Amino acid sequence: MATAVAEHHAEHHYTSTGLPHTKIAIWAFIGSECFFFASLISTYLIYKGRSIVGPFPHTAWTDPSTGQHFHPILNIPVTSTSTFVLLMSSLAMVLAHAAVERNDHKWSRIWLLCTAALGATFLGFQAYEFTSFVHEGLKITTNLFGSTFFITTGFHGAHVTAGVLWLVTMYFIDKKRGLGPRDAVNVDVMALYWHFVDVVWVAIFTFLYLLQ
Amino acid sequence: MTGFHRARRTVYAALTPVLVLGLAACAGFPDTIFGAHSEIGRTEDRLTYLLLILGGLVFVLVEGALIWAIIRFRSRPNATTPQQTHGNTTLEVTWTLIPAVILAVIAVPSVRAIFETQAAAAAGSLQVEVIGHQWWWEFRYPQYKITTANELYLPVGRTASFTLRTEDVIHSFWIPQLAGKRDVVHKERPNYLWFTPDSAGAWNGFCAEYCGTSHSNMRFRVFTVSPEQFAAWVKHQQSGPAFPAAAAAPAQPDTSKKAAPATPATPATTASLASADTSSATYPVDQLPKWTVPETPLPTDEHFDESTIAKADPARGAQIFKTAACIGCHTIQGVSPGIIGPNLTHVGSRTTIGAGLYPNDMKHLTMWIKDARLMKPGSIMPPMGKGLPEAMGAFDDQQIADLAAYLSSLK
Amino acid sequence: MATTVAAPSVTGKAHKYESGIWSWLATTDHKKIGQLYMYTAIAWFVIGGIEALFIRSQLFGPNGRLVSADTYNQLFTMHGTTMIFMAIMPLSAAFFNLLIPLQIGARDVAFPRLNAFSYWVFLAGSVFMNVSWFMHAAPDGGWFAYAPLNTRQFNPGINMDFWVIGLQILGISSLAAGFNFITTIINMRAPGMHFMRMPVFTWAAFVTQFLIVLAFPIITVAVTFLLFDRFFGTTFYEIAAGADPLLWQHLFWLFGHPEVYILILPAFGLVSEVLPTFSRKPLFGYPVMVYSLILIAFLGFGVWAHHMFAVGMGPVADSIFSITTMLIAIPTGVKIFNWLGTMWGGNISFRTSTLFAIGLVGLFTIGGISGVMHSSPPSDLMQTDSYFIVAHFHYVLFGGSMMGLFAGIYYYFPKMTGRVMNERLGKWHFWLTFIGMNLAFFPMHFAGLNGMPRRIWSYDTNQGWDLDNHLSTIGAFIIAFATAIFLYNFLRSRGHGALAGNNPWDAPTIEWSIPSPPPDYNYAKIPTVTSRYPMWSQLGPAPVAPPVPTAGADQPLPTHPSADQLGIPMPTPTIKPLIATLGMVVAFVGLIWHRQIPIILLGGLIFVISLYAWVLTPLEPEH
Repeated sequence: MATAVAEHHAEHHYTSTGLPHTKIAIWAFIGSECFFFASLISTYLIYKGRSIVGPFPHTAWTDPSTGQHFHPILNIPVTSTSTFVLLMSSLAMVLAHAAVERNDHKWSRIWLLCTAALGATFLGFQAYEFTSFVHEGLKITTNLFGSTFFITTGFHGAHVTAGVLWLVTMYFIDKKRGLGPRDAVNVDVMALYWHFVDVVWVAIFTFLYLLQ
Repeated sequence: MTGFHRARRTVYAALTPVLVLGLAACAGFPDTIFGAHSEIGRTEDRLTYLLLILGGLVFVLVEGALIWAIIRFRSRPNATTPQQTHGNTTLEVTWTLIPAVILAVIAVPSVRAIFETQAAAAAGSLQVEVIGHQWWWEFRYPQYKITTANELYLPVGRTASFTLRTEDVIHSFWIPQLAGKRDVVHKERPNYLWFTPDSAGAWNGFCAEYCGTSHSNMRFRVFTVSPEQFAAWVKHQQSGPAFPAAAAAPAQPDTSKKAAPATPATPATTASLASADTSSATYPVDQLPKWTVPETPLPTDEHFDESTIAKADPARGAQIFKTAACIGCHTIQGVSPGIIGPNLTHVGSRTTIGAGLYPNDMKHLTMWIKDARLMKPGSIMPPMGKGLPEAMGAFDDQQIADLAAYLSSLK
Repeated sequence: MATTVAAPSVTGKAHKYESGIWSWLATTDHKKIGQLYMYTAIAWFVIGGIEALFIRSQLFGPNGRLVSADTYNQLFTMHGTTMIFMAIMPLSAAFFNLLIPLQIGARDVAFPRLNAFSYWVFLAGSVFMNVSWFMHAAPDGGWFAYAPLNTRQFNPGINMDFWVIGLQILGISSLAAGFNFITTIINMRAPGMHFMRMPVFTWAAFVTQFLIVLAFPIITVAVTFLLFDRFFGTTFYEIAAGADPLLWQHLFWLFGHPEVYILILPAFGLVSEVLPTFSRKPLFGYPVMVYSLILIAFLGFGVWAHHMFAVGMGPVADSIFSITTMLIAIPTGVKIFNWLGTMWGGNISFRTSTLFAIGLVGLFTIGGISGVMHSSPPSDLMQTDSYFIVAHFHYVLFGGSMMGLFAGIYYYFPKMTGRVMNERLGKWHFWLTFIGMNLAFFPMHFAGLNGMPRRIWSYDTNQGWDLDNHLSTIGAFIIAFATAIFLYNFLRSRGHGALAGNNPWDAPTIEWSIPSPPPDYNYAKIPTVTSRYPMWSQLGPAPVAPPVPTAGADQPLPTHPSADQLGIPMPTPTIKPLIATLGMVVAFVGLIWHRQIPIILLGGLIFVISLYAWVLTPLEPEH
């Protein structure tokens, strides 16, 4: 009976490609997400320059009815810094994955936490950015720029938040029972997600912030 | 190139009998897309014929093969196992290429027609601005400074060039007998359409894009008239409102040829103002084809006393109009500036009210003013009758009849 | 419910949720989930059909006053939305669930609990949207919900809120199922089941999943914009703020056209299973059938603007989209010809499923031809938004999708339940449907060519449309009658049909090698596949399809050893996906119900907690 069970078990975990299911699924998910963010970024680009009232991303604006002056909204140096932070988190993610693969619990925990912390720092930057934009007069309801900007970056932020939660969960699992080589695939899948979210940010940073 | 032209001529020559047949079949179909009365409409029709013929051919071949296969290869009790063919490259390439060729035959004239129909309109065209509203049509003739609603006059033989905009949601401007539809999409960025009507007549127009509650009740009429008649119409439309220039006379209910059985005995129908002018300037009402005379039933839960209509006085109505909520939404040249609803300067000269929904006569006009929302679901015009919910004016029936008489007099 | 009779467990270990209603609420078995999908989809098909009967009764004659204009607008909006998202798509999903694991030789899908989640979310979304009827506020902006008519300014009621949120929920269901099936097909094929040996239905399903996972994000974005506009005052579709009303149309049709193929490809797949079996011949041109599926899907993303020829895109864009649209007709035509090639030279047995499959070939052709007519913009300007279009897409979706799905139901009912459907009633169903559908939809071509616009509540006398509308309405009621016969047959045959046995049709693919209904684990031993048609010998099948089974109607279904007895590890039943769904519903109810932030947060919390509980529990009991 025992051998039969084992046999069935081996058969049970057979996959056609030899890859685990989660890995295939995450790639399908990423493909889907590409279309999601492409739609968001395209909308931003289509509506670029079509807002009727300010404030605007790259140019100053004076409200003709009140005479109030608005500075250009985007602060490239600050966002460049947060972009750098997010890119560094990808590096930490790679190191965490490597640590898990070689069964190095100490460093896997450090790097997982580090990745999560860098992600959280990015979110902190985003929170700061959003608050200061609102103070400067740009709300999600203000104009087309506000609507497209906050939706696009907001959804990206939500993805980062989900990623940070995932990382923290993994960290606690690691702490509880230690992540070993057999968990490497789960970390790998998480890393794919994390890198994807980073790449999306690079696209957002390019199209929303740098493109004048 | 000449070869191509010859081939095209041959195709069209072959199409002629079909066209005639199509026309014959379409008697009794006043809104058919076939036998269109403009060059644009005919270009579109020609493609439709081509597609119908090729489509019909494919239909006969495919369904024929299918029926043949069903009969010929039906299971027989003592049959042997059929040959296990897995495919046939030659066959499969063939039936990939044949549709490709058919599609090329369609694609070439299609693309040609796209560029032909979307070229700039001829110089000297009649400019018409079409503005879609929920749920009626505004027509402006900027060259003549005319604004009217729901009834479009076009001269035969002159290209009409339309600039299409919307005031609110997306609508679609379609006169099946004249040309294909064009959506009115945006308030500022217009869509364009032009065509040259080539025969006189009265045609139905529709809103073809779902636009809310009364989408089905957003119809309009097109009258294609001789250039002389068009000039007379323009002159008449440019003149000020017929009332109160003319003497205050009791209104004459609109001469709808439908002769509703309940037509009241009209008192003092004498020398109706400007009726001599209007008869030459507007499409003769007694010649309206029956499909342009609306037969929308009246709502059952409202009625209007005919004796009240009989006592209507347009002069009193004119006074009421000037001080009522009406002026906030409707323009009457020299009287009121409102622009939310249709321009009423010459409302009495139109054949329908409510965007092609009811005949323009006292019976319908009174009920319309009393409760437009009951007459036309979703109508933005509030009920004006007394005691009705949301009523703005709270007029009694006599006041409403007076108002209607005034409006009817605005020939 | 007709599933395997539970054999006493050898280990004596009693599972929770083993029987009764709980066995359905907690199931992770793809066959049970498939049945849930099928029952639910058929129920929505009936409800969407009742909406259609109201529509047709209202339009029976000129100036109809059966329902008010507002109610009519709600009816046609919900008829379209229901039939597309709650009837045809989930009916296809029922077959994905039932068949994909069976056809590729697997024991379940890759993520059984995600699969259950997909179903519950679909159920929640469809119920959510229809609750609006009880508030007299069903969505009324059309299934296409064009901006700016869909915005708060022009649609201030709660109607479109139901549509926006309902569609978001349904989208989540489709996406989750999409990732699941893609993974399943790529990764769970039995040894020897190369891609070019896969049954064509699985291929069609595979291609459809790619369309779903790539097209649904686009509508998700479009609807999210609308949701934010309606609930939080953003300006995506606010014209006064400079928004472009065509943004919605582009996003919507970028999704909407692939959606058409999402609706039709599964039916194509089913027909490609039915025709070879009953023609006693392999599918003609299998590789071309597969490539044409892929090509249709690929081109399907490049034709969206042919829905927008009237908006004034300019001659260049019109020409490009015209030509891409014509191109897509080529692979579609190839499929028709290859089905003809399959039947050609065969011994065709006319079972109910064959009739429906042939019905698809014949009727879809008509829809395809009228489709090509719209590909030419000048001609399309006369046809678009007229009843000609209504005729066209009903030939595609009813003559195509529904015919194919009915073929699939009759063909796979024995595999699903272990019993066959009544053949006599089935044939009545087919012929009445065939007659009713042509009577209902063919005259619409004439109504459209004679100038009748779409989506109109009422039309005037003397327009020349009366006869067409009389016929359409009569046809609709014939379809309704046929559907009643089908329902009776379907429900009755589940318990009282003749016993099917493993392979009642002598069909060629591997799902027919196992018992009907299959045991929980499907395959006691995972098969090794050596050919495209493993159930037929090299020399071909028996010359004639076997007669429809008639015996054993009063006998119980055969029993099989349980998974425990065979030592096959199976997923533990769980209600966590259901609870996660409920959490989501709570959050969305909080949103639509005066934007109650605490309720939204509560729902979110339930969702996250049940998600954690679900993910952190292993799929199978530890051995």
